Amino acid sequence: MDAHRVAITGLGLVSPFGRDLDDFFQHLLNSESAVRLLRLDDPPRPLAIPFVVCDAFDAGRDLGKALSGTLDRFAQLGLAAAFAAWDDAGFERRSDNESRDGWGVAWGSALGGTLAYEKGYREMWIHGRERISPLSVVLGMNNAANAQISIQLGLGGISMSYTVACASSTIAIGEAFRRVRSGEAAVMVTGGSDVPQAYGVARAWDALRVLAAGDETSAATACRPFSADRDGLVLGEGGAALVLEEWEHARARGARIHGELIGYATTCDHSHLVRPHAAGQIRALRATLADASLVADELDYINAHGTATLEGDPVEVEAIRAVWNGSRHGPAVSATKSLHGHLLGAAGAIEAIVTVLALREGAIPPTAHLQRVDPACTGIDHVVEARCGQALRTALSSSFAFGGSNAVLAFRAPPQSLSTEET
Amino acid sequence: MDSLSLIREFLQGRLGVASEKVVPDVTLDELGVDSLMVLELMFEFEERFGLALAKDLKTPRTVGEMASLMDRLRSEQSS
Repeated sequence: MDAHRVAITGLGLVSPFGRDLDDFFQHLLNSESAVRLLRLDDPPRPLAIPFVVCDAFDAGRDLGKALSGTLDRFAQLGLAAAFAAWDDAGFERRSDNESRDGWGVAWGSALGGTLAYEKGYREMWIHGRERISPLSVVLGMNNAANAQISIQLGLGGISMSYTVACASSTIAIGEAFRRVRSGEAAVMVTGGSDVPQAYGVARAWDALRVLAAGDETSAATACRPFSADRDGLVLGEGGAALVLEEWEHARARGARIHGELIGYATTCDHSHLVRPHAAGQIRALRATLADASLVADELDYINAHGTATLEGDPVEVEAIRAVWNGSRHGPAVSATKSLHGHLLGAAGAIEAIVTVLALREGAIPPTAHLQRVDPACTGIDHVVEARCGQALRTALSSSFAFGGSNAVLAFRAPPQSLSTEET
Repeated sequence: MDSLSLIREFLQGRLGVASEKVVPDVTLDELGVDSLMVLELMFEFEERFGLALAKDLKTPRTVGEMASLMDRLRSEQSS
């Protein structure tokens, strides 16, 4: 196979902090949490859980009333993130000057338009209506986000959604990466979006006994990965997007290169739906290093899956320890879900962005609220405070999903001369 | 509420179309109302007046056609 290098030329995010990407990353470095107590008082049951909401996002303002009105919130967040990444990559929204027939979209979402369906159920079961809006179908469908991204940006190649629970967008990015690397597509828009605040969804996660507790004052520190006192994960909504571009294509148009995607692998534990297994994660980590032609010693940082569940964290640490056992120095590890929450199908995408920014800026954001490491989570290099001024070369971003689906991406820092904006 | 005002209210609320642009001669297409939105508008109309439109109803092309369709259906219902 004639492999092409894959540049990351666009990054876009609907930030839970309400501002741009640099502001988002700075919040992470400062260990400032976006987690708040979410209260939903709609009948029949109120809900109050630590959560991450993008409350500064105004779909009508950011996307226009007509467009946002035909999209569920998951697709609104996705399209806004994709627009931001596209603009960041320096492409025009309209494709007047080039053929985009081979360019595509690979999008992750665990839940898709669940909120739209829930609205329909409410209308029927609570309000006694017998019919629901004909727009419900296009609002609810899982491929609404990628379809609308393709339409809005004039992308005529593959347009596909990936639903793999918490690994959805890592797998979407990985599959997009393979298409650019193989030469099938010069440009791919990828990432993910999810909106888990539907009652049915939030209640279901709660029933599984994996959500962190928290009230008005403690919500911000509710998600404590690897900590001895962790008690669960914190869900959040969001959208995050990357533009992947064939290296020479990016160079030819003088694009700013944020970083390079150099490897990807996905495996399945094939053992249990919700109990993770280190062997499957170890295979995913090793296969990704091999795909990226990296040896373990060369790796500087891992943005861990680290959800802060009792069961998940020690298994992930066990897998990292096994892969780096015998290395001269293991990679720094942090779980930024402690700050931006678990975005389910968008988790892999927001963490891929964090990983790219860490390499580009030479700064590793911490695992927040980690004062006392669980004895079952020791033996790796936990980052508990931001490490700035680092010379970072390579990093991984991991997603280990329910269903036993594991996915890992490998990144390389951009060459110094290409990472600064043209002046 | 007369049918034209109803259409204006809907297009203002859902698409942000200024009311003064919603005049009888303008086509729905020109106002950015695609077939999906026409369906949604008909649905709201049915809901509000307790009507059920025939499935093979010809889709109106202009605001005027839409308004006279609505007028006709409402008068049939009340007669």
